[in-house]
Amino acid sequence: MALPQPDLLTMSAAALLIATFAVIVRRGFLDWLSGYRYQSLVLAAVTAVIGYMTGVWEIYIAAVLTLVIKAIVIPKVLLRVTQKIKGNLGEFNPYISLRASVIISAFLVVFAYALVGETFATSKLDSVAKNYLPVALALFFIGLFAMVSRRVVLSQVVGLLIIENGLFLFTASLTHGFSLLIEVGIFADILISVLISAILLSRISQTFDSLDMGKIEQLRDD
Amino acid sequence: MTFGLTPLIDAGSPSGLLILTMLLTPAVGAISLLVIRGKRAIELVTLVCAGLVAIDALALVSDVLAENHASAFGQIFYLDSFGALVLMPIAGIGFVSALYSISYMSKQYERGMIDDRQLRRYYQALNVFVFTMLLVPVSNNLGIVWVAIEATTLVSVLLIMLYTKEGAIEASWKYLVIATVGLSFALFGIVFFYYANSAVTANADSAMNWTDMALNAKALDPNIVRIAFVFVLIGFGTKAGLAPMHSWLPDAHSEAPTPVSALLSGVLLNCAIYVILRFHIVSMGSLGQSFSSLLLIVLGIVSVAIAAASIYFQKDMKRMLAYSSIEHMGIISVAMGFGGFLGIYGGLLHIINHSLAKPLMFFASGTASQRYGTKAMANIRGVIQTAPALGVLLLIGGLAIAGMPPFNIFVSEFLILTSGFASGQFLASSVLIALLVLIFAGFMLHIIRMVFGKPAGSLKASPTESIEESRSGSKSYMLAILPMAILAVFIVVFGFYVPQQIHTLAVNVSQIFNQTSALPSPTAFGGPK
Repeated sequence: MALPQPDLLTMSAAALLIATFAVIVRRGFLDWLSGYRYQSLVLAAVTAVIGYMTGVWEIYIAAVLTLVIKAIVIPKVLLRVTQKIKGNLGEFNPYISLRASVIISAFLVVFAYALVGETFATSKLDSVAKNYLPVALALFFIGLFAMVSRRVVLSQVVGLLIIENGLFLFTASLTHGFSLLIEVGIFADILISVLISAILLSRISQTFDSLDMGKIEQLRDD
Repeated sequence: MTFGLTPLIDAGSPSGLLILTMLLTPAVGAISLLVIRGKRAIELVTLVCAGLVAIDALALVSDVLAENHASAFGQIFYLDSFGALVLMPIAGIGFVSALYSISYMSKQYERGMIDDRQLRRYYQALNVFVFTMLLVPVSNNLGIVWVAIEATTLVSVLLIMLYTKEGAIEASWKYLVIATVGLSFALFGIVFFYYANSAVTANADSAMNWTDMALNAKALDPNIVRIAFVFVLIGFGTKAGLAPMHSWLPDAHSEAPTPVSALLSGVLLNCAIYVILRFHIVSMGSLGQSFSSLLLIVLGIVSVAIAAASIYFQKDMKRMLAYSSIEHMGIISVAMGFGGFLGIYGGLLHIINHSLAKPLMFFASGTASQRYGTKAMANIRGVIQTAPALGVLLLIGGLAIAGMPPFNIFVSEFLILTSGFASGQFLASSVLIALLVLIFAGFMLHIIRMVFGKPAGSLKASPTESIEESRSGSKSYMLAILPMAILAVFIVVFGFYVPQQIHTLAVNVSQIFNQTSALPSPTAFGGPK
């Protein structure tokens, strides 16, 4: 019995998952940022593969936008903020240990595959969607998990960006691209939200003298 | 998929031009504020833009009344009666907020809370905020709607972080993170809907259009619609402040500058509820009544319950008003879940009534807290003695928002409860009544003390303020009272009768709700097993 040949789609989907886990296993924020950059690079390549498989030229534009905005501009913006912020960025302990994080993330991947199998049981998916949809949902869940498992405010931004990457892949693989107008709108929203969070981050560090989520709790109903 | 230019050149009918000018006005206003200097000029530009938008919106609504809908650019923009009912409060409250901003922000400026640059940034962002909200009811394409709603988040975060104090920064961070995560859920849902629709639609280009989805509702894959609606409800429910995704709302709405709080609570929440209801209509067509209705009722009741618990023990006036917004969004959600003509009609009236009463309350509380120098309700006492006009307006707003007859909110709440009992939802309706009574008691306790209490202690806190107030500050005070008086007139009038135009629109909308659910769906609740 011959083993199935690994093809381009499977390989790239696996590469993206590996890139995502590469973020989860690290501790310091700068490592997270480089992990995110690596993930975005792989995502841009995956997007180009989708463009190649489906023959829709707009997807190539989305791939280029991913490369420029997510792999170059956004990490640069966040890096600049961290340089301005004094004090240590990387020594907070996450709420959930790294070892547990990896195991939970693995479960989230399994859950994503199950969810896609369940939801699309009655509909016919093409091979692009079949390969990437579970990965996209896994990215979404892992991003959510990353946001709640870390103490540092900066990590929440990266968690948000991982979610955004999952969302982007989900859209591209299921619908083979929205209209370009909407795609550009979504990219603009992401870019502006990163810029605003950069401003907010430096204000938080100035005002609260800390980036620890646990210390930023002024507003309460008593 | 296509990015054709032909529909972009063709603005279609005169109503298409109206949509275009309405959207362009605040955009041009925001851009012109990049060069215009001087406090008076900035205020005037914003006020004129808001006024033009309001006039434009009225013209559009009368077009919709005459022709049933208005569209432009090959159905990218599409305004039907439902959109019109949501558009009117945006334009109207946008105008009164711009008017109120002049007095409120001038005061903050005089007190050195903000500088020239922040003042200009405030008015720029206010214009952009109105622009992004206007985009929601006029867009047919749900992708554009999503982009617009995400943009409302971003620009309102900018408005909340205008004050550089700790609370405002924390609130804007929470709001940015929670709303963005929520909206990513919503986009998943929209993509699911789009996918389900593109499998059955005749025209792939318009598969993202709501009109197209509603048309194909019965043919959509129920498995996908079910998960899609859940994603949409979580996503836009976060933005609408439905419990349990509401945690950002009391912080953001209470820390924002007061005119912005009025817009956030009074109309932005409507936009999110509106999008949920659009999808509710589509999923009723695919899954039958019960699935999405039940979800709406449950989330609504939970929201009202959370609000009831928080309002009673609240100490901060603006936080209390924020929780009251959660309550009213919950009531609207329950009403739409009850469905039927009365439920939908009552829910729509409630959207409008809440949009009138909540800004009045925020304005009144903003002016009161500026006079007393505090947001703590314990220190605001005897408003009716120190400022009779403000006291009367605060009382009218407070009675109205708590659902006291003969004011407008009583009418819509009565209709909603009637529809609940009429449709056999006894448990939900009884729980809702009990919670509303609790909220009424809590609200009255706070409002009566603020309006009629003994003012002595608190006036000592800022004696200079009240003396200065009575002499030189009177013009600014009148400017603050005017927008409240306008709202109060509407609140009283709408308590006695519903204008014919709004009645017609609401009846039309209930037909839109019925268009997908009138016939028994082949894939009723539960779907094919």
